[in-house]
Amino acid sequence: MSAIPTHIDFRRNVQSVEPQVPASVRKATTRFLDTRAAVVDVIGQESWQALRQAGHDVRLHTINHLDYYLARLEEEVTRAGGHVHWARDAQEANRIVLEIAQEHRVKRVVKAKSMVTEEIGLNRTLVDAGVQTLETDLGEYIVQLAGTGPSHIMVPAIHLTKEGIADLFREKLGLDALPEAARLAALARAQLRQEFLAADMGITGANFLVAETGTLVLVTNEGNGRMCTTLPPLHVAVAGIDKVVPDLESLNVLLKLLPRSATGQKMSAYTAFITGPRRTEEENGPKEFHLVLLDNGRTIILQDEITRETLLCIRCGACLNVCPVYNHVGGHAYGFAYSGPIGAILLPQLVGTKVAADLPFASSLCGACADICPVKIPIVEILLRLRRRVVEGDTVEPAVSPATLRLGVQMVARAMSIPWLYDLAGQLLRIAQAPFRRGAWLPSLPPPLNRWTMARPLPALRADWRAAWRRRTPEGRTRQRRIRIALVAALASAAAYVGWRLIQRQDRGE
Amino acid sequence: MNKHPARDEILGQVRAALGRRAETSVANVPASARVGPRQAGDANGEIEMLLGEIAKLGGNPRHLESKADLEAALENLVHEEGVKKATMWQTSELKELGVAEYLGTLGVEMISPHADRDQLADCDLGVTGVDAALPETGTLVLRSNPEKPRLVSLLPRVHLAILYPPLLDADLGTVLDKLRDDSCVTFITGPSRTSDIELTVTIGVHGPKALHVWIVEKTDRS
Ligand code: SF4
Repeated sequence: MSAIPTHIDFRRNVQSVEPQVPASVRKATTRFLDTRAAVVDVIGQESWQALRQAGHDVRLHTINHLDYYLARLEEEVTRAGGHVHWARDAQEANRIVLEIAQEHRVKRVVKAKSMVTEEIGLNRTLVDAGVQTLETDLGEYIVQLAGTGPSHIMVPAIHLTKEGIADLFREKLGLDALPEAARLAALARAQLRQEFLAADMGITGANFLVAETGTLVLVTNEGNGRMCTTLPPLHVAVAGIDKVVPDLESLNVLLKLLPRSATGQKMSAYTAFITGPRRTEEENGPKEFHLVLLDNGRTIILQDEITRETLLCIRCGACLNVCPVYNHVGGHAYGFAYSGPIGAILLPQLVGTKVAADLPFASSLCGACADICPVKIPIVEILLRLRRRVVEGDTVEPAVSPATLRLGVQMVARAMSIPWLYDLAGQLLRIAQAPFRRGAWLPSLPPPLNRWTMARPLPALRADWRAAWRRRTPEGRTRQRRIRIALVAALASAAAYVGWRLIQRQDRGE
Repeated sequence: MNKHPARDEILGQVRAALGRRAETSVANVPASARVGPRQAGDANGEIEMLLGEIAKLGGNPRHLESKADLEAALENLVHEEGVKKATMWQTSELKELGVAEYLGTLGVEMISPHADRDQLADCDLGVTGVDAALPETGTLVLRSNPEKPRLVSLLPRVHLAILYPPLLDADLGTVLDKLRDDSCVTFITGPSRTSDIELTVTIGVHGPKALHVWIVEKTDRS
């Protein structure tokens, strides 16, 4: 059974977001943005921008020559004594991993955090086949106990409080703990230590796969990744085909970008470079190493030259942190493994624009995500392209008719390319909405917009929230200044025009 | 017969999407995707930077000038961390320093690094060397081979890493280049940590709960 959803209803999901979620999400995202800003400052804006460009260039180069690097990777992993498997879709990947497990009579699996195994629903496959499968990243362990999915790339249990976690430990593990982070972590450590020592198989994802050397790179903080790749006799890594990088030199660039963008660390606590299984009997490490390379829609993403750049993503989560929509709704609203701006562009391509038709629209197009992305993915362009594909595919729910929407999308696209125009439109809309506004909502609007408000109220355009969001990053602040200048210029010329007309009228003696 | 239908199909689709043919090779990685190495400062500055970064991350760095310093530091460590059992890499550098002998005289039981994992997990202290270090980020680079089992820096409660100043490398790139042939290389930057519960930084989740990093001046070796 595949974990791929058949329909993602973003707006309905949003309505079931629990009230405490936005506050806790914002606490985390603000922290990450602050620490990120601090480490970027150490490098200096100029070098940081050069690094981003380098990151973009090397990722794009790789994706544009993906077949070559994949073949090279396979060759090198095999040379190092590893086994490479290819999986066209989630089902095939799950089957491969399960077969490896069954061949080795695996009873207990320990897993390090991996988005891609979330994407294919691997845990369910293993558990259904009677293999105990345990998430070992503290956050993932907690959400697994809770029976929910992760809500943030970096902090999966961001939506839970320490009291909630203490309750969970009591309920599911029968362990009494004070609701203190250190105590809860110590409890989990003791529980999981035994599991690591007893496990027959470790499963991880991959942050990068180095083609030139056949090396799997894992970036972690807790040490569970090291446990999973060192203790069990068998290590299986599952990775999307987009994870490959050409060589160690390009890895150098990406390793400088990833932890800084993700958690604001100069380097994560543990970065492991694994090339094949252990070499000799005395050495520690797995006796067997398997790498499962997963397509699952990625080759389809490649076909569209504009949206192709989605595959540059290094899953740092920075775009989530900076996104006003994500900060409002948290990760679960996106309905699947990936959330935030990257979810909004990746999911419609992975599961189809029909299934995730809502997601390209779950964005204000403010562009903060593209400004912060360490590999400079043009997220806004990709969102617009996907909106178009959603509309032209005629799969939008009929609240607003496709023709009107298509026009709207084109207009927004045009307006977006001229920042002051977009801003001016925003200001005008704010004035125009005033008569219909009831608090933060627009409960009913005149036709044709009533077709929306008949179904649900529309949130009112607030005070200048885009500006507030921009001010969260230095790049945004510069942009904000530019927009303000453009706005003042626009208003000044409008005033001049009106003044000129008035003078003309007076001259004509009207 | 097609032995690898999935492989051939995926690579075929990649090529079709990119408009490339099977025999098409690859252009070089663009020059813009390269960043130069950081300029190395003077040796003392590098040491201070490394130790400073490690301290910021919640590690315990020390700069030791003599053998007497080292022994005093070991005594302190054993006392403070309550070390009863320890394990150690079997490299000639560590042997020359006489760490194991001195720990023995302090009443610490030494466990072979090739002992079974339950015994290693039971150790209070794991002593390793360091193969390279990155001062800029406070990172220690540990290779893995029969002399340097991976578990020594992973399972014991406390990790002590001992290094000599010449091992400080200026840049990640230079370091990575040295590591081409290892089955496993680990970069350690501060102790094991998490912020998974309400973003409270908690040190010592799955890896060691404490990280001690000692720079020992080489002049002191026999
Ligand atoms: S899209 Fe960019 S910012 Fe977002 S997770 Fe991917 S790499 Fe990070």
